[in-house]
Amino acid sequence: MCGREWREALSNKLLVGMTLFPPIVILATGVFAVAAAALYPPSEKDLRAIYAAAPAVAGLDPTEAVQGIIAQYFLVLFMLIPTVVPLTIAIYSVIGEKSARTLEPLLAAPVGVGELLLAKSIASTIPAVLVTWLAYLVYLGSVMVVGSPAAVHAVTAPRWVLAVIVMVPLLTALSVNLGILISTRVNDVRVAQQIGGLVVVPIVALGIVQVTGRVVLDDSSFVQTGVMLIAIDIVVFFAAKVAFRRENILVRWR
Amino acid sequence: MGVVLRTDALTKRFGGLLAVDGLDIEVREGEVFGFLGPNGAGKTTTLRLLCALIAPTSGTAEIAGLRLGRDDERIRAAVGILTEHPGLYERLSAADNLRFFASLYGLDGPTAEAQVERFLKLMGLWERRGEAVATFSRGMKQKMAIVRAVLHEPRILFLDEPTTGLDPDAARTIRELIVSLAREGRTVFLCTHNLDEADRLCDRIAFFRRRVIRIDAPDRLRAELYGRTVEVRVVPSPLPEHLDRVRAVVGVSEAWLENGSILVRTDNPLRTDPALVRALVDAGADVAFVSERRASLEDVYLRIVHDEEG
Repeated sequence: MCGREWREALSNKLLVGMTLFPPIVILATGVFAVAAAALYPPSEKDLRAIYAAAPAVAGLDPTEAVQGIIAQYFLVLFMLIPTVVPLTIAIYSVIGEKSARTLEPLLAAPVGVGELLLAKSIASTIPAVLVTWLAYLVYLGSVMVVGSPAAVHAVTAPRWVLAVIVMVPLLTALSVNLGILISTRVNDVRVAQQIGGLVVVPIVALGIVQVTGRVVLDDSSFVQTGVMLIAIDIVVFFAAKVAFRRENILVRWR
Repeated sequence: MGVVLRTDALTKRFGGLLAVDGLDIEVREGEVFGFLGPNGAGKTTTLRLLCALIAPTSGTAEIAGLRLGRDDERIRAAVGILTEHPGLYERLSAADNLRFFASLYGLDGPTAEAQVERFLKLMGLWERRGEAVATFSRGMKQKMAIVRAVLHEPRILFLDEPTTGLDPDAARTIRELIVSLAREGRTVFLCTHNLDEADRLCDRIAFFRRRVIRIDAPDRLRAELYGRTVEVRVVPSPLPEHLDRVRAVVGVSEAWLENGSILVRTDNPLRTDPALVRALVDAGADVAFVSERRASLEDVYLRIVHDEEG
């Protein structure tokens, strides 16, 4: 079933484009920001503010300091990739089947609904996680080329590694199950994406408050967020399982 | 022939809506069983119940020796269903679509390939096996959907409007397939609005509107509701005395004039026809032909449904 999902997805050029476009834009933004810091070093006043906000970069060369802090803060925005990418795939996976009316023959086969849900979840999760990890490697490589050692150090710091290895799969799973849940109620891909897009609001808000210095995200914050994500993932998964019942799909999904 | 499908007071409610009310039917192995009813009668709901797609509110059913509610996954493996919409993966090729479903039904690689080839050739689609289903016409998609339903050689095949929207050639191919499947001993449960098709294919027909109104063979229903009617064409036209002579023939229960013919109701045309001809010739009539007129299944259907409406 996963193979069939992937073949369908890859043959849909629009879906492939919509899946790759956000990470490319986010990555380009991150790389550009680091590169721009080298071209436009901060003023003295800005430098003092930077040293105050990020003691880890205090004493570093101004350009290095700015690049280091950009690379550090970019982590939160980078988490948009595993949020947005799988949402699109999961929505197309469900709404696509609804509009093509392929679900009934599928449900008529001797396959469990749980198996079907798991296949859709895995089929949406794996590509999204791989795309995100690839994006991380691309970002790291770009930072190594255009950035300073401080920037490279920031991108390979424990919080980045923890986020990429642990939080990316958790965020991806959350996005997938939310995408499936939303798609059980909605028949238009655009509407589903707009509703699902609300999931990025907390991440963007976190990025903003981090940049404004209102919140300082340290390593323990990331661990707490990870634990919270596990709990949310479990709740959303069970909600998706309830919505994904054979009779619900056949009778209530319209 | 054994009973392959049996229901006992099978009922389905959706909230306050009673969709299927106490369905009691038995279908024999190798039978083509028609299921006729108006739109919204609950035919598709019945199909979904019998294929273990939705659970009944009450009542029981046994399908291919398996108990509904207990053996649902095994029931789904033992039956094939043609759903209301073909529901094919348009971006995949014809062969890939079928291979995917073959794998869901547990067919191993070589068996799946052999079945795909066999049925695609039967349906005249083998040459297009590598093309995306999106390029297929409606008739071709319907053929594909039927192939998908029979790929795993199910004991019972449920067909929901198999020839709706098809051109005469495609419809004939599908009817021929249904006949050949029945000859192989497979049971076909056919939901259709096409009365001519039901008349031609079905051994028995159930008239259904939330519950079963009548079940019987088409010819027996015709005989019971309309008797057997013989048309005698007299040229240039029949006279009143011809009608009197016909009414006097033994075995004639009713006779009347219609469009230049004498119509006669009788239980045994084989015995009555010669006597009719002798009586008319003796009366000086020139008999052009004698033929039996069959009431259409449409007449039977409308009579049964209207009688049920009261």
